Amino acid sequence: MTAAAVRTSPEQQRDLEAFYYMEARLLDNRLYRQWLALLSPDIQYLLPARVNAQVDNRERGTEQMISVERELEGGDSMGCPIREESYIHLMVRVERAFKINSWSENPPARTRRIVGNVELMSSGSEEYSVVSNFHLYYSRPGSASFLYSGQRRDVLLPAGEGYQLRRREVIMDYADIALPTLGLLF
Amino acid sequence: MKYTIDELVNRDASLISRRCWTDPAVYKLEKRGIFGRAWLFLGHESQIRRPGDFVQAYMCETPIILSRGENGQLYANINSCSHRGLPVCRADHGNTKRFICPYHNWSYTVEGALATIPQESALRNKPDKRLLGLKPVPRIASWRGLVFGSFDPDIMPLEDYLGDMRFYLDAFLDRFPQGIEFMGAPHRWVLDANWKLPVENQLGDVNHGAFLHSAIIPREAQDLIEELGYSVVTTPGHGATFRLMPEDAPVDDVAWGMEGMGGMFGGAEVQDYLREVQARAAERVGPLRARMKGLTYGIYPNLSFLWSNASFKVSHPRGPGRVEYWSWAVVPADAPAAVKRLLRTNYSSFFGPGGMLEQEDSEVWVQQFRGSNIDFADDRPYFYGLGLGEEGPHPELPGQVSVTANEFYARHFFTRWRDELQAVERAS
Repeated sequence: MTAAAVRTSPEQQRDLEAFYYMEARLLDNRLYRQWLALLSPDIQYLLPARVNAQVDNRERGTEQMISVERELEGGDSMGCPIREESYIHLMVRVERAFKINSWSENPPARTRRIVGNVELMSSGSEEYSVVSNFHLYYSRPGSASFLYSGQRRDVLLPAGEGYQLRRREVIMDYADIALPTLGLLF
Repeated sequence: MKYTIDELVNRDASLISRRCWTDPAVYKLEKRGIFGRAWLFLGHESQIRRPGDFVQAYMCETPIILSRGENGQLYANINSCSHRGLPVCRADHGNTKRFICPYHNWSYTVEGALATIPQESALRNKPDKRLLGLKPVPRIASWRGLVFGSFDPDIMPLEDYLGDMRFYLDAFLDRFPQGIEFMGAPHRWVLDANWKLPVENQLGDVNHGAFLHSAIIPREAQDLIEELGYSVVTTPGHGATFRLMPEDAPVDDVAWGMEGMGGMFGGAEVQDYLREVQARAAERVGPLRARMKGLTYGIYPNLSFLWSNASFKVSHPRGPGRVEYWSWAVVPADAPAAVKRLLRTNYSSFFGPGGMLEQEDSEVWVQQFRGSNIDFADDRPYFYGLGLGEEGPHPELPGQVSVTANEFYARHFFTRWRDELQAVERAS
């Protein structure tokens, strides 16, 4: 991942942030079908596994030695990402939320997403690469509450007044998953 | 403990006390009576192909390093320094010449022998390093690449321990010309649940699919599973559920992997690969097992294999009310890399910490512990009597056989569990 974000105009920065605020509001208010409408039909939704990697002695003294990237078992790896999903997966997840027999979500969990650190990393003619951080507070009836913390690496397409989500990679800040599920919409 | 084990599980194991799941004293007996005496799953040989390769594992709560020695042999040692007890291996997997304790840099070979004590150079009396290696796991053995260890030096051979379960395991493991391989590090999921419920769930509980998972699994699909489904117990604690497909069933209905997300939506390359495997299945595992389409498997005490979703799982206890649940995607070793990547989604779409089905399972495992850890209900043990006595022998399938609705797999598990706990209870 490159160190520098690209320069944006105040308007473009505001538009990007407004998109993410709206997205978080839709998800926290359980308006999942409206969220689904923000997705490009060819969306890739990835959640790499994160491992405790062995230090490579040959890389000592370099940034690579402790880079986040080498901890990730992502889509291109021969490990196993926790999620690698298409529109079909996400549609099934969304529709499941509206069924009375989706017992583990019934009654539904309370969530609150705080999205920040929105940075435009690159922009091509048709696409924008944007990273953002999130904290997601999650409270299930009768259970403890949990904090989900992570980064999202997105590819957005311009669409009408706003954007469409074409790719999302969710980097969770955990190796051992002490959370009820990573099956949420991050 | 104010009661004895025989008060927790009745004679035919149709009644199971809440205290089996929650009592710290019972958990202590489980460690000695079960985890100290059983063959426990450590990993798969595909994870440690080259000399110096290692992976971490657990035997109950004890951390283990499973490694491939310089001589090509398998080694399993307790991951705890002989000096002050720290773990000497902290990466999930890798390749190394030495494991080094961070505290005083005692270093160990990949086989577990103590190599150096840096501090001793300043001292006249040198400790005998031959006595100070990592503690080896006394027994280690593998079956078709699945590696097990045991703390009991006198345990029966692994082949005998697995017994007729080998017939069912091999239906999968021998199906592929080069066997299977595990993809990457395990997904590790920590849940406030007792370790036995994930095991029971994967040992034979096919029938909760129609209810707990009804938002995902259509009723017709579940009906078909139950119609063609068998549940088998080979030895108490080991079990398998599977469908025996009709002899004239189309290849796409029988072939392993076709019913997962990667198989269904992955395109021609993965589907052709799966058809080819199935076309040669009878030659490799015989006509009966070629028609087998597995569902859940369990190897006592805590290894599970989910054939339908290509995952091995281990339920590591962390106390009566906490479990560290590990799972791996497994794929045929000879498949092209692109096919492996698609097939791993057969697992991750529905299982593991992000899976659509397992997020429902994990919730009930947690809720079951809450329901068990209550007062004033010890006179109401759980009812495990569904299908009592309805299992029996089958002309072609080894073990006791029944319909999937029969909960005999769980009764057999708890009969063995009770007997093994009683054996250490009497000894203490």
